[in-house]
Amino acid sequence: MPFRTDWGIKGAIGVLATVVVALGIGRSLDSGVVPIGKQKVSLTFWNGFTGPDGRTMLEIIRDFNRENPDVEVSMQRMDWATYYNKLMVAAMDGRGPQLFVVHASTLPRMYRAGYIADSSSLYSGSEAIPPSDFDPYVLEQVKFNGKYIGLPLDIHPQGMYANADDLKAHGIVDSQGNAKLPANKAEFLAAIDKLKTPTVWGFALTLWRNNFQSLMPQFGGRYLDEQGNADLNNPGNIAALSFLGELSRKKLIPPPENGLGWVGYRQHKVDMVWDGVYMLGDLKRLEGLNYVAAPIPQIGPKPGTMADSHVLCVRQGISSAQRDAADRFIRYLSQNSIRWASAGQVPARKSVRELPEFAAMPVQSAFSKQIPYMMYPPRTTVLFELTLEIDVAVEKVIRGTADAKTALDLADANAQKAIDRDRREAKSGVTP
Amino acid sequence: MSYIRQTQRAGLLFLAPYAVSFFVFAILPIVLSLVLSFMRFDLTNQSAAGFVGMDNYREAYADPYFWNAVRATLFFAIMIVPGLLVIGLSMALGMNAMARGQHQVRALIFLPAMLNVAVTGILWQWFFNGQFGLFNFLLKGLGMGPQPWLSDKGFAMPSIVLMSVWWSVGGTAIILLTALQQIPVMYFEAASLDGASTYQLFRRITLPLLKPVMSFVVITTTIAGFQMFGQAFMLTRGGPELSTRGVVQYIYETAFNSYRMGYGAAMSWMLFALIFGFGIVQLRMMRRTV
Repeated sequence: MPFRTDWGIKGAIGVLATVVVALGIGRSLDSGVVPIGKQKVSLTFWNGFTGPDGRTMLEIIRDFNRENPDVEVSMQRMDWATYYNKLMVAAMDGRGPQLFVVHASTLPRMYRAGYIADSSSLYSGSEAIPPSDFDPYVLEQVKFNGKYIGLPLDIHPQGMYANADDLKAHGIVDSQGNAKLPANKAEFLAAIDKLKTPTVWGFALTLWRNNFQSLMPQFGGRYLDEQGNADLNNPGNIAALSFLGELSRKKLIPPPENGLGWVGYRQHKVDMVWDGVYMLGDLKRLEGLNYVAAPIPQIGPKPGTMADSHVLCVRQGISSAQRDAADRFIRYLSQNSIRWASAGQVPARKSVRELPEFAAMPVQSAFSKQIPYMMYPPRTTVLFELTLEIDVAVEKVIRGTADAKTALDLADANAQKAIDRDRREAKSGVTP
Repeated sequence: MSYIRQTQRAGLLFLAPYAVSFFVFAILPIVLSLVLSFMRFDLTNQSAAGFVGMDNYREAYADPYFWNAVRATLFFAIMIVPGLLVIGLSMALGMNAMARGQHQVRALIFLPAMLNVAVTGILWQWFFNGQFGLFNFLLKGLGMGPQPWLSDKGFAMPSIVLMSVWWSVGGTAIILLTALQQIPVMYFEAASLDGASTYQLFRRITLPLLKPVMSFVVITTTIAGFQMFGQAFMLTRGGPELSTRGVVQYIYETAFNSYRMGYGAAMSWMLFALIFGFGIVQLRMMRRTV
């Protein structure tokens, strides 16, 4: 029966292939919960630390794993945009990592999604991390309905970087002859003017929206009013954006098509920029750029800058052994956040910032001076919609296609629509 | 069991692995997205999930950002389709006329199509860079000033089209070249004997016999044009002032940045309807003229 045999082989191959595919699909659809071994507790830790900061984090994790043989933390990192998508989708049906990092500004959405566990236990008990070791404003960011849903690992404010050699060459120095970064509007505008040459710009915007957000608190600006309604067109925001528009209109910053920003600073084509403390990792890799850092100069009536924090969170629904291990790991990270600071961060814990090692980190310690007056992005579930509106408004003003008031009026109206829609939809369900 | 029946069963078993994956990764998501499009489904607010009828479609209809994205997409499609067809056909005719080296030229022309969109985007970001870019460097050599390739609303979309043409014209040219090579030489010989000029040969023989393949090219590039995402995302992120944000990017942002899956799904189906409508119209027009 040659035919039967032939069919049998074909059929067997077909069935085998189907089983292989089905198993693959089954595997991809499984719960993703790491089985707890007799000896070790496995934890998956996701974050977006894809730069040099990721290497520092990896070293800390290796040390933790070595010092805690009963726990195995494995880290997975991906760029932040991809990361949030994957985290949200994976966590939707309980397949997310046991441990993860989110920005404080994204917590309202993550919290509403309902898969961040209460982490209040970290702040109490015999091994408690004292809440008093955090600035109240920072700790407030992780508090929802009276519960702490994570632990702030760091603070990353925007600050000013400058090319020390160029400042010195143009006589912008202090009494000791060191580069003196401008601290107020008059000094800032004078420095821009003095540093500008046919090939080098005194100042350039980096991330336009973030630069605007750094000026907002200086002019008393805000995102939302007390009722949580959009307040993007308040006088403070208009004044802050008008200042940036003036810089562009008077050609004190490179034109938008020029493309100079952070890259221009790295290439010695721009002498001063405002950016996050996390950019330090990029600067450390450079040779030949003598950089120096300081707080954002006070352009408005009071000092101010924007900031955010990486927050360590735990997923709901993990086993008690995993929860214990996760708490142990979070405490370890927090206690060792001076190492994390070396990657270009300001530790969230005051006691760590008081260490002599931190004082020896010139950029981080300079940026940390802004903690008393920094402003976080708004606590809102429509953060993306709100920041998109700010993006468009800032873009219009820098490009000179609209004045600050007109641009922010439209942004405010659109943001309010998103807030109204979100409120309407949230009412239809039970929000945590 | 008859031989034919047994063979059919074996064939089905061989098809099974693909059929399973096709069902799981194509059919199922399509059906789910259709269901989602009638639902309010926010990943951050799943407790509020529920059927809302046509609300998502009504919202899209009234959403100025959606229509802004449709305009950007149409602008892109309208520029890229004739661009690819004309340049691709010219290249195919050139290659067809080559006595030697056709294979090498064909391989070179197809090379950009082998790059993925991320690599192409990064490469062209440098070409378009305002200060160090290749294009402004060339313009400077010609005594002209730098151009805002990606930062001006009037330039940005044509710049994206330029990159897209460079990236995908190789594939179009190869398809058209293959079709050109299928036209029997005797038609040209007979017409030449009757005194037809080169233009008449092209107008009366080449073009009519190429029309079925050209209609295929037009329809497939129109579909690809409507699905434009990676190019704009890599070069401009949808800017300046959202002028290059196409429908697919808006859908992506709605679904994966705002986490509004229902609304994203509804816009996907509206885009599908748009593509389907255009496809049908194009097909009918081409059939009428073939």
